[in-house]
Amino acid sequence: MSKIVHLKESYPPGDFAIWIVIYIELLTFGLMFLGYAFSRRADIELFNASQSVLNQASGFVDTLILITSSYFVVKAVNTVKNARIENIQASNESASRWLLAAILFGIMFLINKLLEFSDIFSQGINLSTNTFFMFYLLLTMFHFMHVVLGVVILFNIRKRTKTLCYSEQNCRGIESGALYWHLVDLLWIILFPLVYILR
Amino acid sequence: MKKRAELIWIVLVVFTIFAYFLGQFDFVNTLMVGILLMTTFIKGELITDYFMSLKNVKLKYRMIPTIWLAAVMSSIAVAYYLPIQ
Repeated sequence: MSKIVHLKESYPPGDFAIWIVIYIELLTFGLMFLGYAFSRRADIELFNASQSVLNQASGFVDTLILITSSYFVVKAVNTVKNARIENIQASNESASRWLLAAILFGIMFLINKLLEFSDIFSQGINLSTNTFFMFYLLLTMFHFMHVVLGVVILFNIRKRTKTLCYSEQNCRGIESGALYWHLVDLLWIILFPLVYILR
Repeated sequence: MKKRAELIWIVLVVFTIFAYFLGQFDFVNTLMVGILLMTTFIKGELITDYFMSLKNVKLKYRMIPTIWLAAVMSSIAVAYYLPIQ
């Protein structure tokens, strides 16, 4: 009976530099999450009352959008990683379509978030309103900027698929961009229950 | 497994719907918060293992985001469950 042995890769996918960025972002957001969680203990009633102003449905839709966008990016990376010499053009074209879908979902997230911010600001809420809204605006706006950068990165990766540059041997660039996008997704996946749901 | 990405996506969506319903119908109590934090940890692990493709890399690389996730989720749990003086 033959046994399939899965060898472990020596290094993670993508460039070394992107992992440095990812670790720094994890550390930064991690501290902000803990800052929120422990500040909440100081005034639970204020945090719960302020949280009820937030639109949970909007946060839920944001999460679904980012998860789905991340899935599209996985499909794009898998497409180029499975490309052979004879089908490089078709693989890059297919990856380009998956990336376009991911970009559109990223833009949908940004539009939804802008609508949410506009609703919050129209109620006269700002960073100085109270500790909850200070954390809420800080966390979500900081994350928003990361999504903007992620969309720019995906746009540039997509542009490179037009020159048919990605293949099984040359996929570091698309892997690095994809990793950044998954990081943005990972951070939101914690932010959503922490800020919108937990009370 | 051919449809692994699709399966992971479905699990992520199901856990997200679960979290939303907890909040929407105000089922957030001490037990449910524990389950919510646990499902969030699992979601994070699925993203790092399968979307970020760390499942098949050396353990030391795989463990960094796992330790981060465990530290963040357990600290949030401590902040939530620790009795207030």
